Amino acid sequence: MSEVLLRSLALAATSAGLLLLLGPVIAYLNRRPYPGRSLIEALLLTPLALPPTVLGFYLLLLFAPDGPLARIGAPSLAFTFPGMVVGAALFSLPFAYTAYREAFRALDEDLLETARTLGAGRLRRAREVVFPLVWPGLVSGTLLAFAHALGEFGVVLMVGGNIPGKTQVASTYIYDLVEGLEFAAAHRASLVMLALAFALVYLTRQLEERWRSATGSRGRSRSR
Amino acid sequence: MEIRYRIPRPLPLAVAFLVEGFTALLGPSGAGKTTLLKALAGLLPAEGTPYAGLPPERRPIGYLPQNAALFPHLTAWQNVAFALPHLKGADRERAARTWLQRFGLAHRAEHRPRELSGGEARRVALARALARNPELLLLDEPTAGLDRPNRDQVLRAILYAVEEHGVRALVATHDPELAQAADRLAVLDAGRLLQAGPVDAVYRRPATLRVARLLGFENLIPGRVAGYRPPHVEVATEAGVLRVPGDPLPRGTRVVLAVRPEEVLIVREDRPLKPLDAGNTIAGRIHRLRRMGPVVEAEFEGPLRLILRLPRHVQDRLELRPGEPRRVVLKPRYLQLFSEDEEASFSSD
Repeated sequence: MSEVLLRSLALAATSAGLLLLLGPVIAYLNRRPYPGRSLIEALLLTPLALPPTVLGFYLLLLFAPDGPLARIGAPSLAFTFPGMVVGAALFSLPFAYTAYREAFRALDEDLLETARTLGAGRLRRAREVVFPLVWPGLVSGTLLAFAHALGEFGVVLMVGGNIPGKTQVASTYIYDLVEGLEFAAAHRASLVMLALAFALVYLTRQLEERWRSATGSRGRSRSR
Repeated sequence: MEIRYRIPRPLPLAVAFLVEGFTALLGPSGAGKTTLLKALAGLLPAEGTPYAGLPPERRPIGYLPQNAALFPHLTAWQNVAFALPHLKGADRERAARTWLQRFGLAHRAEHRPRELSGGEARRVALARALARNPELLLLDEPTAGLDRPNRDQVLRAILYAVEEHGVRALVATHDPELAQAADRLAVLDAGRLLQAGPVDAVYRRPATLRVARLLGFENLIPGRVAGYRPPHVEVATEAGVLRVPGDPLPRGTRVVLAVRPEEVLIVREDRPLKPLDAGNTIAGRIHRLRRMGPVVEAEFEGPLRLILRLPRHVQDRLELRPGEPRRVVLKPRYLQLFSEDEEASFSSD
């Protein structure tokens, strides 16, 4: 159990880290409207409505040894840990992206403009105004993505293949246990997952509360 | 300091006027006040002098948007310290606290913006803007949405900044009362400057009917020129012929007389009027009375309907009652003569 749990945690951490690396940039660029923004956003949010098997299936085709990625010389990611990371990240993207986007949208444009008139250049504005105001949103989005990736089953099963000792994670391990009628073991593993999931979501909520009371969730700019 | 700006977007605007001391920029919503302030701050593209071409970071200005824009994650003194990056550590904090102290806010130094009242927040923002030692303050509706005591405090803070620190302040407002506290006035409407000058001159002689409306001349009386008896124009109105100072105009010209509610006076029947004023009296009834703080607003109904505003102590002496017959006097020196055309002016001085 501890080995699968560790692999689950590693998978969740890597995919959430990947999202934290890329997501805020996309959310920042999407904070103002541009032609085609809703199209891009719909694409980013589609995994929300997609059966995990569908995403997993297409990723498998993409990653296959004779797939399009292999043809341009990339190593095949089918049934590997990195492949699962990509799948889990894509599937958790809507959660992270939504939180990141809200964090940037709540940023009052007047604050940035006023900071400029107070002599603050781009770097100071980013470090002393933008970052302190958005980091709680970035952390809560990443935590949510982490929790979601931790519980992911379908995509991980399709792309990873549930190979014991290689790509088996907590969720697919529990599935195997139940299939094998090992209910006691399934129970133990499930309880651990339940506790973890609850703790993570609770932490996220706490963070949001604290953030709101610190900044006094103000409305956005209204001047023209 | 002369301001000469041309702004293409979001509202086409072209102005030229002087800013000295406390200069109020008066105009209705949508006149372009915010646009002009933002352009002066460098936040909107514009051509002109001063500063055009400089980025906001390098303009010697202090800008306050309508909501004061304090950084919500910083305390009051840290907000002020943001404007003092050239100082380090304890010096920076000391300087920031000194600025707060000057604005009577030393006791609020450790508070975050959400714990401050609207007036306090704007004074902190003012201290922060001033800490950079700007030559021009740009304040966007600094008293909007404030109650009376807060508003007076903000006004005092602006006057303090101008008088003690020698900074010029350009203050956008649609509050005629705030405008009257200014040294100079610039009246803006639909992206155009209608009139600019020392505040007394503009109030004494609004250039057009439009300006008069914006300055709070609520009583507008239409009429036609009936004659000229130097130095007064005689105007036939529904309340008979009224006399108003002005240059001769062709008989029959359509005109509008304007008078402020504060300058319509109730006749005291126990006191004789000067002959000139006596010709400008109107008989009617007090229709309605409304208390507005230290001021009483009355509606007068006769051949004309007029709004009057009198200090409470005057009402205490006069004891006006609704329905009571009274006479009012429109003293010639409080009357303004305008062309019926909102935009046109008679060149009387």
